[in-house]
Amino acid sequence: FLLVFYPPSQTSLQVTGSRWRSSAALMSPHHTSASLESKNWEKRNRKVFPPQLPDEIRRPAEIHHSRRQIKYSKDKMWYLAKMIRGMSIDQAIAQLEFNDKKGAKIMKEVLLEAQEMAVKHHNVEYKSNLYVAESFSGKGMYLKRIRYHGRGMFGIMDKVYCNYFVKLVEGSPPKAEEKTSFDQAKEYVQSLKNRTIIHSL
Amino acid sequence: KPLPTFQPSHLSLSLSTLTDLIGSAVIRWRGDMFSFVSPCAAPALAVTGPGLLPQPDQEDGLEEQPPGLFDGFLWMAAPKKRRTIEVNRTRRRADSKLLKVKNNIEPCPECGHLKQKHILCGFCYAKVCKETSMIRQQIKAAEGGPLRAPTVETVVLYEGETPSEQDKDKRIVERSRKRPAWFS
Repeated sequence: FLLVFYPPSQTSLQVTGSRWRSSAALMSPHHTSASLESKNWEKRNRKVFPPQLPDEIRRPAEIHHSRRQIKYSKDKMWYLAKMIRGMSIDQAIAQLEFNDKKGAKIMKEVLLEAQEMAVKHHNVEYKSNLYVAESFSGKGMYLKRIRYHGRGMFGIMDKVYCNYFVKLVEGSPPKAEEKTSFDQAKEYVQSLKNRTIIHSL
Repeated sequence: KPLPTFQPSHLSLSLSTLTDLIGSAVIRWRGDMFSFVSPCAAPALAVTGPGLLPQPDQEDGLEEQPPGLFDGFLWMAAPKKRRTIEVNRTRRRADSKLLKVKNNIEPCPECGHLKQKHILCGFCYAKVCKETSMIRQQIKAAEGGPLRAPTVETVVLYEGETPSEQDKDKRIVERSRKRPAWFS
Protein backbone atom coordinates (compact mmCIF):
# COMPACT_ATOMS: atom_id res chain seq x y z
CA PHE A 1 0.00 0.00 0.00
CA LEU A 2 1.06 3.56 -0.55
CA LEU A 3 2.73 5.25 2.37
CA VAL A 4 4.23 8.67 1.91
CA PHE A 5 5.54 9.50 5.33
CA TYR A 6 7.23 12.71 6.32
CA PRO A 7 10.80 11.70 7.19
CA PRO A 8 11.40 12.55 10.82
CA SER A 9 14.80 14.13 10.77
CA GLN A 10 16.58 14.77 14.00
CA THR A 11 16.08 18.48 13.96
CA SER A 12 12.50 18.74 12.68
CA LEU A 13 10.83 16.66 15.41
CA GLN A 14 13.07 17.93 18.19
CA VAL A 15 11.27 19.16 21.26
CA THR A 16 12.32 22.63 22.27
CA GLY A 17 13.50 21.59 25.73
CA SER A 18 16.28 19.23 24.68
CA ARG A 19 19.18 21.23 23.28
CA TRP A 20 22.16 18.99 23.91
CA ARG A 21 24.09 19.75 20.74
CA SER A 22 27.42 20.55 22.25
CA SER A 23 29.77 18.12 20.51
CA ALA A 24 30.56 18.30 16.83
CA ALA A 25 29.71 14.63 16.33
CA LEU A 26 26.06 15.30 17.12
CA MET A 27 25.68 18.10 14.57
CA SER A 28 22.78 17.45 12.24
CA PRO A 29 23.61 17.28 8.52
CA HIS A 30 20.87 19.79 7.70
CA HIS A 31 22.24 22.85 9.49
CA THR A 32 25.89 23.58 8.87
CA SER A 33 25.92 27.02 10.49
CA ALA A 34 25.17 27.52 14.15
CA SER A 35 21.74 28.94 13.28
CA LEU A 36 19.82 26.87 15.78
CA GLU A 37 21.73 27.92 18.88
CA SER A 38 23.00 31.39 18.02
CA LYS A 39 21.27 34.34 19.64
CA ASN A 40 22.81 37.03 17.52
CA TRP A 41 20.27 39.68 18.42
CA GLU A 42 21.13 39.57 22.10
CA LYS A 43 24.85 39.55 21.29
CA ARG A 44 24.45 42.98 19.70
CA ASN A 45 23.99 44.45 23.16
CA ARG A 46 27.52 43.37 24.04
CA LYS A 47 29.16 45.35 21.26
CA VAL A 48 31.55 47.90 22.70
CA PHE A 49 32.58 50.98 20.74
CA PRO A 50 35.86 52.83 21.32
CA PRO A 51 35.51 56.01 23.38
CA GLN A 52 34.24 58.94 21.35
CA LEU A 53 36.35 62.02 20.72
CA PRO A 54 35.07 65.24 22.31
CA ASP A 55 34.07 66.78 18.99
CA GLU A 56 32.26 63.74 17.60
CA ILE A 57 28.46 63.65 17.52
CA ARG A 58 27.22 61.58 20.45
CA ARG A 59 26.24 58.10 19.34
CA PRO A 60 22.67 57.36 20.57
CA ALA A 61 22.23 54.35 22.86
CA GLU A 62 20.84 51.24 21.17
CA ILE A 63 19.08 48.48 23.06
CA HIS A 64 18.37 45.12 21.41
CA HIS A 65 15.80 42.90 23.06
CA SER A 66 13.87 39.83 22.01
CA ARG A 67 11.59 37.12 23.25
CA ARG A 68 11.81 33.59 21.87
CA GLN A 69 9.27 30.84 21.37
CA ILE A 70 6.12 32.91 21.77
CA LYS A 71 3.03 30.75 21.17
CA TYR A 72 1.69 32.90 18.36
CA SER A 73 1.94 33.06 14.58
CA LYS A 74 4.80 35.05 13.04
CA ASP A 75 2.49 36.42 10.35
CA LYS A 76 0.01 37.73 12.91
CA MET A 77 2.84 39.15 15.02
CA TRP A 78 4.17 40.95 11.96
CA TYR A 79 1.12 43.23 11.79
CA LEU A 80 1.75 44.45 15.34
CA ALA A 81 5.47 44.81 14.72
CA LYS A 82 4.75 46.84 11.57
CA MET A 83 2.34 49.08 13.46
CA ILE A 84 4.86 50.16 16.11
CA ARG A 85 7.84 50.68 13.80
CA GLY A 86 9.12 54.22 14.14
CA MET A 87 6.90 55.13 17.10
CA SER A 88 8.15 56.55 20.37
CA ILE A 89 8.10 53.95 23.12
CA ASP A 90 5.25 55.62 25.01
CA GLN A 91 3.08 55.76 21.93
CA ALA A 92 3.94 52.13 21.09
CA ILE A 93 3.02 50.93 24.59
CA ALA A 94 -0.25 52.91 24.47
CA GLN A 95 -1.22 51.40 21.11
CA LEU A 96 -0.40 47.88 22.23
CA GLU A 97 -2.33 48.29 25.47
CA PHE A 98 -5.58 48.91 23.62
CA ASN A 99 -5.07 46.39 20.86
CA ASP A 100 -7.13 43.23 21.27
CA LYS A 101 -4.65 40.78 19.76
CA LYS A 102 -2.89 38.15 21.87
CA GLY A 103 0.53 39.21 20.61
CA ALA A 104 -0.05 42.80 21.73
CA LYS A 105 0.12 41.90 25.42
CA ILE A 106 3.35 39.93 24.92
CA MET A 107 4.86 42.70 22.83
CA LYS A 108 4.02 45.28 25.47
CA GLU A 109 5.83 43.18 28.10
CA VAL A 110 8.87 42.95 25.82
CA LEU A 111 8.91 46.72 25.31
CA LEU A 112 8.63 47.41 29.04
CA GLU A 113 11.46 44.96 29.74
CA ALA A 114 13.60 46.64 27.11
CA GLN A 115 12.84 50.07 28.57
CA GLU A 116 13.88 48.90 32.03
CA MET A 117 17.07 47.35 30.61
CA ALA A 118 17.83 50.60 28.84
CA VAL A 119 17.63 52.66 32.02
CA LYS A 120 19.45 50.17 34.23
CA HIS A 121 22.25 48.84 32.00
CA HIS A 122 22.56 50.99 28.90
CA ASN A 123 22.99 54.45 30.41
CA VAL A 124 19.75 55.91 29.11
CA GLU A 125 18.78 58.96 31.13
CA TYR A 126 15.05 59.34 30.42
CA LYS A 127 12.98 56.27 29.87
CA SER A 128 10.60 58.11 27.57
CA ASN A 129 13.38 59.35 25.32
CA LEU A 130 13.40 56.10 23.32
CA TYR A 131 11.89 55.13 20.01
CA VAL A 132 11.38 51.83 18.19
CA ALA A 133 14.00 51.72 15.46
CA GLU A 134 13.52 48.12 14.38
CA SER A 135 10.76 45.68 15.20
CA PHE A 136 10.08 42.39 13.48
CA SER A 137 8.98 38.82 14.08
CA GLY A 138 10.57 35.56 13.03
CA LYS A 139 9.68 31.89 13.01
CA GLY A 140 10.41 29.86 16.13
CA MET A 141 10.82 26.10 16.43
CA TYR A 142 7.55 24.41 15.52
CA LEU A 143 6.06 21.26 17.00
CA LYS A 144 4.37 18.85 14.62
CA ARG A 145 1.10 17.11 15.30
CA ILE A 146 -1.26 14.89 13.29
CA ARG A 147 -4.53 16.29 12.03
CA TYR A 148 -7.04 13.58 11.24
CA HIS A 149 -9.09 13.90 8.04
CA GLY A 150 -11.81 11.58 6.77
CA ARG A 151 -11.22 8.23 5.12
CA GLY A 152 -8.08 7.45 7.03
CA MET A 153 -6.20 10.42 5.62
CA PHE A 154 -4.06 12.58 7.81
CA GLY A 155 -2.16 15.77 7.56
CA ILE A 156 0.70 17.13 9.61
CA MET A 157 -0.25 20.17 11.67
CA ASP A 158 2.33 22.70 12.81
CA LYS A 159 2.06 24.16 16.30
CA VAL A 160 3.51 27.55 15.50
CA TYR A 161 5.86 29.58 17.63
CA CYS A 162 7.44 32.92 16.84
CA ASN A 163 10.27 35.12 18.05
CA TYR A 164 9.93 38.85 18.43
CA PHE A 165 12.87 41.27 18.09
CA VAL A 166 12.94 44.95 18.94
CA LYS A 167 15.65 47.62 18.85
CA LEU A 168 15.17 50.79 20.87
CA VAL A 169 17.29 53.85 20.19
CA GLU A 170 17.63 56.85 22.45
CA GLY A 171 16.24 60.09 21.14
CA SER A 172 13.06 61.33 19.57
CA PRO A 173 11.61 59.33 16.66
CA PRO A 174 12.80 60.45 13.23
CA LYS A 175 10.18 62.34 11.25
CA ALA A 176 9.02 60.63 8.10
CA GLU A 177 9.78 62.93 5.22
CA GLU A 178 6.65 64.09 3.50
CA LYS A 179 7.16 64.48 -0.19
CA THR A 180 4.63 66.55 -2.05
CA SER A 181 3.36 65.34 -5.40
CA PHE A 182 5.02 68.33 -7.08
CA ASP A 183 8.38 67.26 -5.67
CA GLN A 184 7.88 63.73 -6.87
CA ALA A 185 6.98 64.95 -10.34
CA LYS A 186 10.05 67.19 -10.39
CA GLU A 187 12.24 64.26 -9.42
CA TYR A 188 10.75 62.14 -12.17
CA VAL A 189 11.40 64.76 -14.79
CA GLN A 190 14.95 65.17 -13.50
CA SER A 191 15.57 61.41 -13.72
CA LEU A 192 14.42 61.50 -17.33
CA LYS A 193 16.75 64.40 -18.07
CA ASN A 194 19.70 62.59 -16.46
CA ARG A 195 19.61 59.77 -18.95
CA THR A 196 22.61 59.62 -21.25
CA ILE A 197 22.95 57.86 -24.55
CA ILE A 198 25.85 55.47 -24.42
CA HIS A 199 28.30 55.07 -27.29
CA SER A 200 27.18 58.38 -28.73
CA LEU A 201 29.33 61.02 -30.37
CA LYS B 1 -18.31 2.53 -39.06
CA PRO B 2 -16.29 4.08 -36.22
CA LEU B 3 -14.18 1.77 -34.14
CA PRO B 4 -15.16 1.53 -30.50
CA THR B 5 -12.37 2.85 -28.31
CA PHE B 6 -11.43 2.01 -24.76
CA GLN B 7 -11.58 4.77 -22.21
CA PRO B 8 -9.41 3.51 -19.40
CA SER B 9 -8.07 7.00 -18.77
CA HIS B 10 -11.04 7.88 -16.60
CA LEU B 11 -9.71 5.57 -13.87
CA SER B 12 -6.41 7.39 -13.34
CA LEU B 13 -7.98 10.79 -13.88
CA SER B 14 -10.52 10.32 -11.11
CA LEU B 15 -7.76 9.24 -8.71
CA SER B 16 -5.67 12.26 -9.50
CA THR B 17 -8.61 14.63 -9.31
CA LEU B 18 -9.52 13.19 -5.93
CA THR B 19 -6.02 13.54 -4.55
CA ASP B 20 -5.83 17.05 -5.97
CA LEU B 21 -9.09 17.85 -4.26
CA ILE B 22 -8.02 16.68 -0.84
CA GLY B 23 -4.71 18.47 -1.18
CA SER B 24 -1.08 17.64 -1.36
CA ALA B 25 -0.61 17.76 2.42
CA VAL B 26 -2.93 14.81 3.00
CA ILE B 27 -1.24 11.49 2.77
CA ARG B 28 -2.81 8.28 1.55
CA TRP B 29 -2.71 5.72 4.23
CA ARG B 30 -4.63 2.77 2.93
CA GLY B 31 -4.72 2.03 -0.74
CA ASP B 32 -7.67 -0.31 -0.63
CA MET B 33 -10.14 2.43 0.20
CA PHE B 34 -10.88 3.33 -3.37
CA SER B 35 -12.58 0.22 -4.58
CA PHE B 36 -15.34 2.16 -6.26
CA VAL B 37 -12.93 3.40 -8.90
CA SER B 38 -13.16 0.37 -11.18
CA PRO B 39 -16.44 0.27 -13.02
CA CYS B 40 -16.88 -1.91 -16.07
CA ALA B 41 -14.25 -0.96 -18.62
CA ALA B 42 -16.15 -2.12 -21.62
CA PRO B 43 -15.61 -0.37 -24.94
CA ALA B 44 -17.55 2.85 -25.32
CA LEU B 45 -17.83 5.48 -27.99
CA ALA B 46 -15.18 8.16 -27.68
CA VAL B 47 -17.29 10.84 -29.29
CA THR B 48 -20.73 11.71 -27.97
CA GLY B 49 -22.91 14.55 -29.03
CA PRO B 50 -26.23 15.53 -30.45
CA GLY B 51 -25.02 15.53 -34.07
CA LEU B 52 -24.40 11.79 -34.36
CA LEU B 53 -26.54 9.44 -36.40
CA PRO B 54 -27.91 6.58 -34.33
CA GLN B 55 -25.59 3.61 -34.71
CA PRO B 56 -27.06 0.11 -34.68
CA ASP B 57 -24.50 -1.37 -32.26
CA GLN B 58 -23.85 1.51 -29.85
CA GLU B 59 -24.07 0.73 -26.16
CA ASP B 60 -24.10 4.17 -24.69
CA GLY B 61 -27.16 3.32 -22.66
CA LEU B 62 -25.03 1.10 -20.42
CA GLU B 63 -22.07 3.32 -19.76
CA GLU B 64 -23.37 6.90 -19.68
CA GLN B 65 -20.47 8.74 -18.15
CA PRO B 66 -21.47 11.40 -15.62
CA PRO B 67 -21.40 14.62 -17.65
CA GLY B 68 -19.76 16.71 -14.94
CA LEU B 69 -16.57 14.64 -14.47
CA PHE B 70 -14.33 16.56 -16.79
CA ASP B 71 -16.60 17.50 -19.68
CA GLY B 72 -18.49 20.08 -17.65
CA PHE B 73 -16.88 23.44 -17.09
CA LEU B 74 -17.64 23.64 -13.36
CA TRP B 75 -16.47 20.42 -11.73
CA MET B 76 -14.39 21.86 -8.87
CA ALA B 77 -12.63 25.21 -8.74
CA ALA B 78 -8.91 24.73 -8.23
CA PRO B 79 -6.00 27.13 -8.48
CA LYS B 80 -4.18 26.91 -11.76
CA LYS B 81 -0.82 28.18 -10.59
CA ARG B 82 0.92 28.71 -7.30
CA ARG B 83 0.53 32.23 -6.01
CA THR B 84 3.98 33.77 -5.78
CA ILE B 85 5.22 35.25 -2.54
CA GLU B 86 5.15 38.73 -4.13
CA VAL B 87 1.46 38.37 -4.96
CA ASN B 88 0.77 36.97 -1.50
CA ARG B 89 2.66 39.80 0.18
CA THR B 90 0.82 42.53 -1.70
CA ARG B 91 -2.47 40.95 -0.62
CA ARG B 92 -1.49 40.40 3.01
CA ARG B 93 0.17 43.79 3.42
CA ALA B 94 -2.49 45.85 1.69
CA ASP B 95 -3.38 49.02 3.51
CA SER B 96 -6.82 47.71 4.45
CA LYS B 97 -5.25 44.72 6.24
CA LEU B 98 -2.67 46.63 8.24
CA LEU B 99 -3.55 47.60 11.80
CA LYS B 100 -4.86 51.13 12.30
CA VAL B 101 -3.25 53.45 14.81
CA LYS B 102 -5.79 54.56 17.44
CA ASN B 103 -6.06 58.27 18.13
CA ASN B 104 -8.58 58.09 21.00
CA ILE B 105 -6.19 57.18 23.81
CA GLU B 106 -5.78 59.71 26.61
CA PRO B 107 -4.67 59.66 30.27
CA CYS B 108 -7.34 59.24 32.94
CA PRO B 109 -7.64 62.44 35.00
CA GLU B 110 -8.19 60.48 38.21
CA CYS B 111 -5.34 57.96 38.25
CA GLY B 112 -3.13 58.88 35.29
CA HIS B 113 -3.33 55.50 33.59
CA LEU B 114 -4.22 55.44 29.90
CA LYS B 115 -7.81 55.00 28.84
CA GLN B 116 -9.86 55.17 25.66
CA LYS B 117 -12.14 58.20 25.42
CA HIS B 118 -15.44 56.32 25.32
CA ILE B 119 -14.48 53.56 27.79
CA LEU B 120 -14.06 53.64 31.57
CA CYS B 121 -10.54 53.69 32.92
CA GLY B 122 -9.49 50.08 33.63
CA PHE B 123 -7.58 50.91 36.78
CA CYS B 124 -10.37 52.98 38.33
CA TYR B 125 -12.92 50.31 37.44
CA ALA B 126 -10.74 47.63 39.01
CA LYS B 127 -10.41 49.57 42.27
CA VAL B 128 -14.18 50.06 42.42
CA CYS B 129 -14.69 46.34 41.76
CA LYS B 130 -12.33 45.46 44.59
CA GLU B 131 -14.12 47.65 47.13
CA THR B 132 -17.49 46.34 45.94
CA SER B 133 -16.39 42.76 46.50
CA MET B 134 -15.25 43.61 50.05
CA ILE B 135 -18.68 45.16 50.74
CA ARG B 136 -20.36 42.08 49.30
CA GLN B 137 -18.26 39.84 51.55
CA GLN B 138 -19.46 41.83 54.56
CA ILE B 139 -23.06 41.45 53.43
CA LYS B 140 -22.56 37.71 52.91
CA ALA B 141 -21.14 37.38 56.42
CA ALA B 142 -24.05 39.35 57.84
CA GLU B 143 -26.74 37.38 56.01
CA GLY B 144 -25.16 33.99 56.64
CA GLY B 145 -26.85 32.16 53.79
CA PRO B 146 -28.66 32.48 50.47
CA LEU B 147 -32.03 34.21 50.01
CA ARG B 148 -31.85 36.12 53.31
CA ALA B 149 -31.61 39.65 51.99
CA PRO B 150 -33.71 42.05 54.07
CA THR B 151 -36.48 43.97 52.39
CA VAL B 152 -34.98 47.33 53.26
CA GLU B 153 -32.32 49.41 51.57
CA THR B 154 -28.68 49.04 52.41
CA VAL B 155 -26.24 51.79 53.33
CA VAL B 156 -22.45 51.42 53.64
CA LEU B 157 -20.76 53.22 56.51
CA TYR B 158 -17.03 53.57 56.93
CA GLU B 159 -14.92 54.22 60.02
CA GLY B 160 -16.10 57.02 62.22
CA GLU B 161 -19.41 57.52 60.45
CA THR B 162 -22.79 57.48 62.13
CA PRO B 163 -26.08 56.77 60.42
CA SER B 164 -27.87 59.96 59.48
CA GLU B 165 -31.62 60.75 59.56
CA GLN B 166 -32.21 59.22 56.14
CA ASP B 167 -30.47 55.98 57.13
CA LYS B 168 -32.94 55.19 59.93
CA ASP B 169 -34.75 52.24 58.34
CA LYS B 170 -31.92 50.96 56.25
CA ARG B 171 -29.66 47.99 56.77
CA ILE B 172 -26.16 49.16 57.70
CA VAL B 173 -23.02 47.53 56.34
CA GLU B 174 -19.87 48.48 58.21
CA ARG B 175 -16.49 48.64 56.50
CA SER B 176 -13.46 48.95 58.71
CA ARG B 177 -11.52 51.44 56.69
CA LYS B 178 -11.51 55.10 55.80
CA ARG B 179 -14.07 56.19 53.23
CA PRO B 180 -12.43 56.17 49.76
CA ALA B 181 -12.24 59.51 48.05
CA TRP B 182 -14.25 58.41 45.06
CA PHE B 183 -17.18 57.04 47.15
CA SER B 184 -19.14 60.21 47.76
